[in-house]
Amino acid sequence: MNRWFAVSACDAVPPGHVAYTQLLGQELVLWRSAAGVLNAWENRCPHRGVRLTLGSCVGEELRCQYHAWRFASGSGQCTHIPSHPQQKPASTIRAQVFPLCEDGSFAWVNLTRDALPSPHPAASLDTALRSIFARAPVAAVRQVLLQGYGGHSVGLGDEFTLSVPDQKLQFMLQPVTEAQTIIHARLRGDLNAAERMTIFRHHNALLSVARDQAEAAA
Amino acid sequence: MITLYDYALSGNCYKVRLLLNILQVPFSARAMDFHPGREHKSDWFLKLNPLGQLPVINDEGLLLREAQAILVYLASRYDASGHWYPRQDAAALGRIGQWLGFAEGLTATAGAARRHDTLFVEVDIGKCRAGAHALLRILDEHLWFAEQAGERWLCTAEWPSIADLACFPYVMLSEEGGISRLPYPAIRRWAERVKRVPGFIPMSGIFPASAA
Repeated sequence: MNRWFAVSACDAVPPGHVAYTQLLGQELVLWRSAAGVLNAWENRCPHRGVRLTLGSCVGEELRCQYHAWRFASGSGQCTHIPSHPQQKPASTIRAQVFPLCEDGSFAWVNLTRDALPSPHPAASLDTALRSIFARAPVAAVRQVLLQGYGGHSVGLGDEFTLSVPDQKLQFMLQPVTEAQTIIHARLRGDLNAAERMTIFRHHNALLSVARDQAEAAA
Repeated sequence: MITLYDYALSGNCYKVRLLLNILQVPFSARAMDFHPGREHKSDWFLKLNPLGQLPVINDEGLLLREAQAILVYLASRYDASGHWYPRQDAAALGRIGQWLGFAEGLTATAGAARRHDTLFVEVDIGKCRAGAHALLRILDEHLWFAEQAGERWLCTAEWPSIADLACFPYVMLSEEGGISRLPYPAIRRWAERVKRVPGFIPMSGIFPASAA
């Protein structure tokens, strides 16, 4: 499916952090290099198949936990094999890299290798709310959100992107598996620093109710 | 010297080893045949701990059981910095006590699910997993809001406390009990911070992070 899905708030993966998620059942390792480059790779070492999320970030490389093979940020190219330190690893040894873009507040992944250019322009003033995981399919979550979000009617954008124009709130639903969804949401525009935590708690409470309703219906 | 009655695969023994290593307190570990030998239920050990549970420490004649109580004692006795159990800070002590209780809940849910899956202990596995997810959901939410407020740890902004160590093991071993942590990204960031505490040691199933 050649389209982009939000998979994480940008600041949820700080430099040096190795995060774990799934998109449409595909396991992903999301990791940000020390220099700040975010990567979305298949969660599988090309050597012995161990999950790369068990490994750790070392500067501009991700190191597998099992045999400490290292893979370069950006290309996924294997850069170092400890048992053959003198040899340059073959160019065919590389982690599977998925196209990724960041738009200022969220990271988007496309599981298609020759992906369309990202339709999401940088919008650095947006503020990510706390993402909420639901044990319910995307359709059930969307249904709950369409029925009303804290008393507001919710306009339907494209298949998964919903917006509440008066609140400048955008929802992005990440299909984790057929039965699991992560509700990502962000407020458009600048946020009053003094009200920040109150606003976060307000939406966290509303999204938690939506999650509970979707899980009850699923 | 402290004797720790220890089992390598126990999360509750691990948290004691972790604090002893962080505080650089020398100790001697007495390896117990927990499984399959059930040495913790033997006559000689029941005299040390009538509950028949690990860990137990003996510090020059002071016998203590219950992992959380042992952490309180070790931090109070051996932590010169006062960060791990800040005795002068009533609010922090209250919060620490609260999360030590939470750690007991993790043992009873995530820990029990792991004993079911790895040591074939009979429990209501569905109830254990659901209970663990309910706790992890609360923990993830707490940590996300703490991060937004500039706090890096469970109870305190700048320094980790024994509450972080108490909760860490059975969170990190949850997948051995069939409890995925995919829904809890804030827990994952916190766990990486715990792994970077100077003196951190791993155990089977818990891997180190890189230094930076």
